[in-house]
Amino acid sequence: MTLVDGLRSVLPDVAVRDPSEPDSPAWHGATPEFIASPSSTEDVSRLLVWAAQEGLGVLPVASGSHADPVSNGRFVALDTSLLSGIEEYEPADLTITAGAGTRFATVDDALRGNGQWAPFDPPAARGRSMGGLVSEAAHGSLWAGYGALKNHVLGATVVTGDGRVLRLGGKVVKNVAGYDLLRSVVGGRGRLCVLTSVCLRAFPLPPQERVLLMSGTSVAELIESALAVGTAPVLPASIVVAGPLDVLDGRAALVVRLHGAESTVDADQATLETHVGRPFDRVMDVRDGAARILSQLQDLGAAEERCIEISVLPSQLSGLVSCAADVGLGPMVVDSYAGRIRIGGADLGVDPVGTLRAAAEKAGGALRIVRWNGADSPTSTPQSAVTAMLSERLESIFDPGGVLWPARS
Amino acid sequence: MADRLRAIVGHNHVITHPDRLVAYESDGLTAYRVVPRAVVLPETTEQVSSVLALLHEEGIEVVPRGAGTGLSGGALPTPDGVIVGTARMNRILSIDQQDRLATVQPGVINARLTEATAPYGLYYAPDPSSQSACTLGGNVAENSGGPHCLKYGVTSRYVTGLTVVLADGEIVRFGGAGTEAVASLDLVGLFIGSEGCFGIATEIEVRLLPAPEGVRTLLGIFDTMQEAGHAVTDIMASGLMPAAVEIVDHATIVAVEASVFAAGYPIDAGAALVIEFDGTEAGLDEDADRAEQCCVAAGAREIRRATSEEERLGLWKGRKKAFGAMGRIAPDLLVQDATVPRTRLPEVLARITEIGEEYDLKIANVFHAGDGNLHPNILFDRQNADELDRVEKASQEIMSLCVSVGGTITGEHGVGVDKRGYMPLVHNEVELEMLRRARWVFDPSGSLNPGKVLP
Repeated sequence: MTLVDGLRSVLPDVAVRDPSEPDSPAWHGATPEFIASPSSTEDVSRLLVWAAQEGLGVLPVASGSHADPVSNGRFVALDTSLLSGIEEYEPADLTITAGAGTRFATVDDALRGNGQWAPFDPPAARGRSMGGLVSEAAHGSLWAGYGALKNHVLGATVVTGDGRVLRLGGKVVKNVAGYDLLRSVVGGRGRLCVLTSVCLRAFPLPPQERVLLMSGTSVAELIESALAVGTAPVLPASIVVAGPLDVLDGRAALVVRLHGAESTVDADQATLETHVGRPFDRVMDVRDGAARILSQLQDLGAAEERCIEISVLPSQLSGLVSCAADVGLGPMVVDSYAGRIRIGGADLGVDPVGTLRAAAEKAGGALRIVRWNGADSPTSTPQSAVTAMLSERLESIFDPGGVLWPARS
Repeated sequence: MADRLRAIVGHNHVITHPDRLVAYESDGLTAYRVVPRAVVLPETTEQVSSVLALLHEEGIEVVPRGAGTGLSGGALPTPDGVIVGTARMNRILSIDQQDRLATVQPGVINARLTEATAPYGLYYAPDPSSQSACTLGGNVAENSGGPHCLKYGVTSRYVTGLTVVLADGEIVRFGGAGTEAVASLDLVGLFIGSEGCFGIATEIEVRLLPAPEGVRTLLGIFDTMQEAGHAVTDIMASGLMPAAVEIVDHATIVAVEASVFAAGYPIDAGAALVIEFDGTEAGLDEDADRAEQCCVAAGAREIRRATSEEERLGLWKGRKKAFGAMGRIAPDLLVQDATVPRTRLPEVLARITEIGEEYDLKIANVFHAGDGNLHPNILFDRQNADELDRVEKASQEIMSLCVSVGGTITGEHGVGVDKRGYMPLVHNEVELEMLRRARWVFDPSGSLNPGKVLP
């Protein structure tokens, strides 16, 4: 009996396809035995139990766009794309629940149709799945004004490695009924469990979005102005420096987004210009070209063959940006409020990244390899021994049989 | 044992005399009282570590305690256990204006942090109603909220890093601003709200916000709770983002106005709604006007708008002093805490009124209407055994009601000992077992705050 036959004996209706089919994700590292697409939480549970019995690992994927490389071993890919659709949306409660395989675009469109939105803008967000975004705790530049994605995830249904179904959190904003296991799942990158449903907090769309732009020859030239914006007595929705940008003919830009009533953003703009000591070069809204710039900022470098992310305190950003420029790394996007830098490019070198990691760690920060296609990948800043030990214990209670090993490899 | 503890923290900082131990027999939930074996008051992370290591070695249970303002019995002692209090760990260790961060010891009082950061134009956003007394360590343990969490979010949004002492005395560091790129599970987020069962936070790094330039506060007076509820729904549906939306009901208004905290609310009102906007000065009047229109459309008979800080405090007084005022009309008060989807508030409030009538109990409601966080306050006399029994039954019904409409049993007070029995309402046995295992991850010995959270 083949593996697929074995699975069919347990889950006769589950869709199965070959990982080499043209529309399959690109598998960096080992290739799965097959891709299974369960359509319910219960089937996800049965699939995980079956995989454990067969000695197979399970790698949750949705769009597959952000699947990490898997080291050698026999595993199946658990495609969540059929766990799709909006399950519950009550606009007056500002909450929405959707299957983990639902594209963010579906959720975004539903919310915007009711004058609401989910204020996070990670790279390529609209094409990605809810489960993937939550699993990665994907973030964007709106962190300054709205906080991290983890603050907006109110609840989730998950399946542990041994097939237990857990409802974590709920669908209300304030909930402290028991230890917050949900927080370990958000950003857990599939190491702990398989997400099958996610409940998000929604926000009213701001009455106006104003985009302020200051251009310069390089990110380094603009970073001090960005830091000045970040210490002004008003809090913008986002503060980003990026470059070089195609939409600005290769120049860099400081882009600040202000949300609020027109009189509010007028006053906030004036406050920021006073604080920075100069006016912005361009003042735009999404109707006159800002959307193209925001789109490029959101995605810059993220889809490259090699991509790294650095975090430091904002006060340390100038040094890190200079270091990156000195070793020839770029293009880059800097969220100067969050203290994060993303650099992507097909030709990122191992040695320059190593230099940058050392500089980040010396400044009290960290560097993570987001993607590195090719041999000889540099390493990310490791977690401490004790947090690694606690994380392993957490993995052991979620996945006692170690079925989800491909996500941890 | 006491001498060995004194050797660590100093002679005067270990309490064993029965007269002094009585002060620690309960927290803000006075229905439960247990005199602890001893109280230890360390001053540093290292002292906490040594104390916990010693108690762990001796197999003695530990109950962490902040200011003791908790309302779920989370700091209730165990008869053979030792309380480790953070009262002496009350230093603000650093304020980083550039990066908008502060690092504090756990015994720092919530409001004191905002006072200390005000000269820098910054403040700490979570503002539990007890913020003039409660500590940041307690806020971390309970993931505390507060009126302004409607706009700004709860404690977990603001804590960026923790130094924690585990049950065996090991000192560990979780998170830290600037280290987000480390690929690890969110142990900071998991620790927050763990009610003293995972460890004792001894240093807390928090994010600060720029102090809002302006504030507008409205008080809407309504003949019925139903009208006030509709006003809340309309305000939130209109796209406005108030900093706070709070409701007090008729019973509360009567209690407040009969007390020394009288705030000038009309005693024949069915409900009063406190609405606050903050942020950039320009635009606040516009927001307040729109909220006022929502209130009028919902049937408000009167709207008051503060024109000075003094007037603002006056409008808030009836809300902030509600719990104190209720002490005047009953010897005991059970402050319940549950959250429901905002759209279910009217029906839930109506049913809570019926439950009060069915059990012949006086229930006064004060709550964070904007996020559906209810605080039905049950007034009673615990010397009356029959009444106490009815209080417990009514509480059970209220919790079941809130869960049945998609809510939960606690929004900000925590489970403690008070809500343990209700946990099966929101978690099945598989989930409860998972919570037990989560506790094991941090404290395999189970000696930290035993008997809390889990049924």
